[in-house]
Amino acid sequence: MPAYYLEILILLLGFTMLGIEAFSSNRSRSGIAVLGISGLFVVLLFLIIAVPSSEVPYDYWGIYHVDKWALFYKAIAILTTLLVLVLAKDFSSAFKKYTSQSNEFSGIGEYYCLPIFVCAGLMWMASAKDLITIFVSLELVTIGFYVLVSFMRRNVGSLEAGVKYLVLGALSTGFLVYGIAWIFGVTGHFDLSGIAEALNSGEIEKKPIIFAFALLMVGLGFKVAAVPFHIWVPDVYQGTSMPITAFLSVGSKAAGFIVLLRVIEPFLNSPLTSSSVILILSFLVCVTLFFGNLVAIKQTNIKRLLAYSSIAHAGFLMMALPAMESGFHSKLIGPSPMESISFYLAGYLLMTMLCFLVITIVSSLTDGENIDDLRGLGARSPLLAFAMLVGVASLAGIPLTVGFFGKFLLFNIAIQYAVFSGSWYIVAFAVLGASAGFYYYFKIIRAMYCGGAEQDGDQLALTISTLSRVVIIVLLAGVILCGVFPKLILGFL
Amino acid sequence: MPTLNEYLLMGGLLFVIGLCGVMIRSNIIVILMSLEMMLSAANLTLVAFWRFGGGEGLPADSYNAQVMVFFVITVAAAEVAVGLAIIVALFRSRQTVDVEELRSMKG
Amino acid sequence: MLDQYLPVLMQLSVATGFAVSTLLISVLLGKSAKSNAIKDSAYECGMLPIGDDKPRFSVKFYVIAMLFVIFDIEVVFMYPWAVTFKNFLANGQAAMVFWSMSGFVGILLVAYLYALKKGALSWKS
Repeated sequence: MPAYYLEILILLLGFTMLGIEAFSSNRSRSGIAVLGISGLFVVLLFLIIAVPSSEVPYDYWGIYHVDKWALFYKAIAILTTLLVLVLAKDFSSAFKKYTSQSNEFSGIGEYYCLPIFVCAGLMWMASAKDLITIFVSLELVTIGFYVLVSFMRRNVGSLEAGVKYLVLGALSTGFLVYGIAWIFGVTGHFDLSGIAEALNSGEIEKKPIIFAFALLMVGLGFKVAAVPFHIWVPDVYQGTSMPITAFLSVGSKAAGFIVLLRVIEPFLNSPLTSSSVILILSFLVCVTLFFGNLVAIKQTNIKRLLAYSSIAHAGFLMMALPAMESGFHSKLIGPSPMESISFYLAGYLLMTMLCFLVITIVSSLTDGENIDDLRGLGARSPLLAFAMLVGVASLAGIPLTVGFFGKFLLFNIAIQYAVFSGSWYIVAFAVLGASAGFYYYFKIIRAMYCGGAEQDGDQLALTISTLSRVVIIVLLAGVILCGVFPKLILGFL
Repeated sequence: MPTLNEYLLMGGLLFVIGLCGVMIRSNIIVILMSLEMMLSAANLTLVAFWRFGGGEGLPADSYNAQVMVFFVITVAAAEVAVGLAIIVALFRSRQTVDVEELRSMKG
Repeated sequence: MLDQYLPVLMQLSVATGFAVSTLLISVLLGKSAKSNAIKDSAYECGMLPIGDDKPRFSVKFYVIAMLFVIFDIEVVFMYPWAVTFKNFLANGQAAMVFWSMSGFVGILLVAYLYALKKGALSWKS
């Protein structure tokens, strides 16, 4: 089966679900969610077993590229969407309050369909090696997210988040398109290999191409939530519904990074642009690490805290980008920047989804999204509290979790690169950020275990559906196992 | 006949005007119009680069840039459709289209 | 080459000339009227008008307009497809090109059916 059938299958799944939503007379929509979850699971199986290895790497019509990275990021996209649907199914009880008044289930079917279409966009992004394909798939994802973010029509916060995401997202699209126009103007190509050739031909001028690259970085920096293009992140994360926050945090970031990696590679390897690109990247890394971690300290809303933590993680991930420079590549000991970033993103998927699953279950019962609302969770539900503990510890990067190995690999690259080029300031910012991280993640753990519940009203029994319980245990095992045996993920790379 | 530089200048001006509109104005509808203007500026730049891409004032031999322009137009239409829907929903619940009044979240 | 554009120039000058001259004639021939608040207000059988002077449109118009824009834009892709179809026919790739456009139209069809079923196109509320 050719790899591009995967996206077609995903689209067919989405359209089937949309058709059922529109034509089914059955009022309950949970069947659609189950169909989506099982359909995604089947496509994931196809991805693992049915794509022949003779087709990797392979180029279709010059616009669709399949290599092991593309397949890896496609798997991340499908897995993320699958978990988001599990979250959405749990969230639907809280969700009903905010959609339509006449019919309590109307509108929720689309809430399960749209992530499927976004997933197709994420998968195309993983295969895009052409600025046109990158643009179209990126917009498929972004426009899908506009709707998802503002989906809770009766909730003012959700609409406000939607408007902010719309305006800033469209602004970043404008920068991206203008940057693409200039890159086409200077190099005469849209495909990245053509751009790489043109950059090395020595026939183009430096100023316009740096200008174009900077415009492109504004657009992509928005997607991966890098400072100073992060202003949408806290408000949108806080305002929108929990499953979509998780989706934005993992899916959007992972796909943004594969595109970022693909786009900056020709620029980093050309002697014409290399030094300026490294300068731009180093600046972005430092401000992202500094700002993301320090502002996270004073947050009390748990979604805002995770928003700033997501910015901080983008900083850690970008730390490995300057090291993709060709002069340094042969000197590096250990996994390459591409492998380390992919490992970190896979681990980030596991630990973030674990945290969001716990918070979704807790907040759909108590309606609270502050750190204080987790108080006494250790006594109320030991499983949820332990899952949250492991998730948060992994986000902070404590040994025996997957987050530790991710940070270890990235620090390994950053330190070796600092030895090579003398950019120790990046390492200093990263150490500062990581230690600040220990503090604000510890606040969550302290709230769960140390502070007892104040009122008896908080002692509602937390009911966990069987599906969520299974998913939590699988993710928990994943975080710990991949932390002890990192080969489980690195083996795929 | 106008030269490439004149088209690029025009595109740049449109882009900056759009950007200023997004930054300064507080009515969301006007902001959306400014965003469309930025996309149009990018389209103009693309077509201008295509028209002069072949050297000696001749068009480039591939139609890539025109295809890109079509995609940008389509995406802009989809963006506006979704954007206006969100704005209508916002107006129904808040009775305002002013971004200055959207400050319920802080921190 | 420039004389080819002469008809365009003539049409432009006729159009602007017509617009400017009608405006001028109406200003010159018409009696200048002073405007005041009462004169400018809507006439409602002698009652003072109440409420907003700008009428609110039903959201139905908006939904239909948006659907029109979306479906209208898609035609942009059919023109280049139709133009290049002959080349692909000559290369013996007609089936591939035909089915890719069928897929595109099929996606639109699903979206159209969805909009129809959800009542986005019905006038009755």
